[in-house]
Amino acid sequence: MTTRPSPEWLEAFQARFSQMLRTPLDRRSGTLRASPASYDPRLARDAVRGAKLSSPERLAIYNRQYWFRLFTVFHGAFPLTTRLLGHFCFNEYASRFLLAHPPKVWDIDAVVDGFEDFLVLALPSPTVTVDPRGRSVERAAVLQASRIDAAYHHVFRAPACTAFRPSAGDAERLLTSRLQPSPAAAVLEEDWPLCELRRALLGDPAETPAPLPPRLAQPRHWLLVRSSTKIGQLPIEAQEARLLALLGLFPVGEALAQLEQECGPVERDLLPARTQKWLARSVEHGLWVGLSDQ
Amino acid sequence: MVVKRQELPRDALGLGLRIPHYGYLFEHWPELGYFEIISENFLGDALPPRRHLDLVRERYPIVLHGVGLNLLGHAQLDSAYLDKLCWLAEYVNAPFVTDHLCWTGAHGISHHDLLPTPYTADLVGMAAERAAFVQRQLGRPFGLENLSSYVEFDSSTLTEWEFYGAVVRDSGCWSMLDVNNIYVSSQNHDFSPEAYLNAIDFSRVLQVHVAGHSRESNGIIIDTHDHPVADAVWRLYAEAWRQGGPFPTLLEWDDHIPPMPEVLSELAKAARIRA
Repeated sequence: MTTRPSPEWLEAFQARFSQMLRTPLDRRSGTLRASPASYDPRLARDAVRGAKLSSPERLAIYNRQYWFRLFTVFHGAFPLTTRLLGHFCFNEYASRFLLAHPPKVWDIDAVVDGFEDFLVLALPSPTVTVDPRGRSVERAAVLQASRIDAAYHHVFRAPACTAFRPSAGDAERLLTSRLQPSPAAAVLEEDWPLCELRRALLGDPAETPAPLPPRLAQPRHWLLVRSSTKIGQLPIEAQEARLLALLGLFPVGEALAQLEQECGPVERDLLPARTQKWLARSVEHGLWVGLSDQ
Repeated sequence: MVVKRQELPRDALGLGLRIPHYGYLFEHWPELGYFEIISENFLGDALPPRRHLDLVRERYPIVLHGVGLNLLGHAQLDSAYLDKLCWLAEYVNAPFVTDHLCWTGAHGISHHDLLPTPYTADLVGMAAERAAFVQRQLGRPFGLENLSSYVEFDSSTLTEWEFYGAVVRDSGCWSMLDVNNIYVSSQNHDFSPEAYLNAIDFSRVLQVHVAGHSRESNGIIIDTHDHPVADAVWRLYAEAWRQGGPFPTLLEWDDHIPPMPEVLSELAKAARIRA
């Protein structure tokens, strides 16, 4: 649809206002503050000064509101990552991400898309300093937390999908075909008890960094599966997780062969029965939406 | 099959549908005239919001309230967004759809906020033409909400209520009158809320919103929707009802959301005030 063009002044006005909105908040005082002095003077001149506030201070309300509204969305989508870093430190990474990837669509929940990949590039190694006293958290734990948060976010937002129920005909071509993963399911791996921590922190209003629990003796794996309104989290074995990962990459026959190759002799004997059980379980939980010959 | 569009009784009382109330709602199904949903929360493909919406729409009329139309943006309207909005309006058989007389993004960036502009005569025509187009696409009444704001501009040549009234009149659309927004802006910009109300054509009012706000230490009022409705806003509501009632009335509560019975009790004040 095309309506009459907007008045010429409107685009210039909105460019100045947008620039003001996206002016980063100043962190130097230890809290996030707007910097009204840095706004475009043309915008500040046009804004009416009232009895209560100067015009730049009035604009600053929008500047702060812009950032804090988006930070709140990030905190909701990445609750575990937020608390491992603490709000103040997390907001710094969220700001940098938003400056590099400004929101483009009406869907405010989409503003976080790609944040976990951004952190891979942005976080220092091997640790991230999370407060002025120099406390730090392992980079690997923060990245793992961000992958867990992102998985929850994507699984929740996945569209309705019909789970794959193999027919007799499918059984014949199963080994040479690829299973198509459902967007409403994900496999998680953790080296720290992060999923437990995530559950414990939900609803906790604190903004300070939460201590990272001790590293697990062995990595743990979980399956996230969404029903019509909720996400279920089920424990799975390491080898089952590996099979699911391989099934995402290769045709079923190749994935099974690869898994077998990775096993020791004792495990290899047990493998056929176990893989059959795991495959059946993956179908039962709706991890696949179809079979592809490509 | 042609489904007849639902209509609300003119004195209906409604609430904004919010996730923290789902537990209570799905257990008790309280008596209520209607729910208003934030359109954008249900435009996406995610299944859980859709399933929750299905439960609600089986029992209550639902109206749509958008925050992303960007009616006063310098760029043309987003036709993909509008298509989705039309779909959702049909899906819930909405009696009407509303959004704000403001801009929400520019130059391809969505700011996810309801932003003010200078109010000028040359903007009226563009806004009215766009609003009329939206109403035609929706095939049902489309209401424009007056904005709460913290800044005005020297380059305005119209008052906010002159601008608002002209866009509603010229578009053939409707007023989604938010009396809390009138009050918030009146305090922030030192005008009389009654003068604003006196300029409203109540024959074009589709719905009235009430909500709470917060006053900062510097005297500025922020439209936070995180408190009960202020007494001054209830007084303005009573005056609106006297001048132009009946109209459907909706309570918005978006932050620090108390349990649903408390919100319903706040809404019940509207019925008492106009009795």
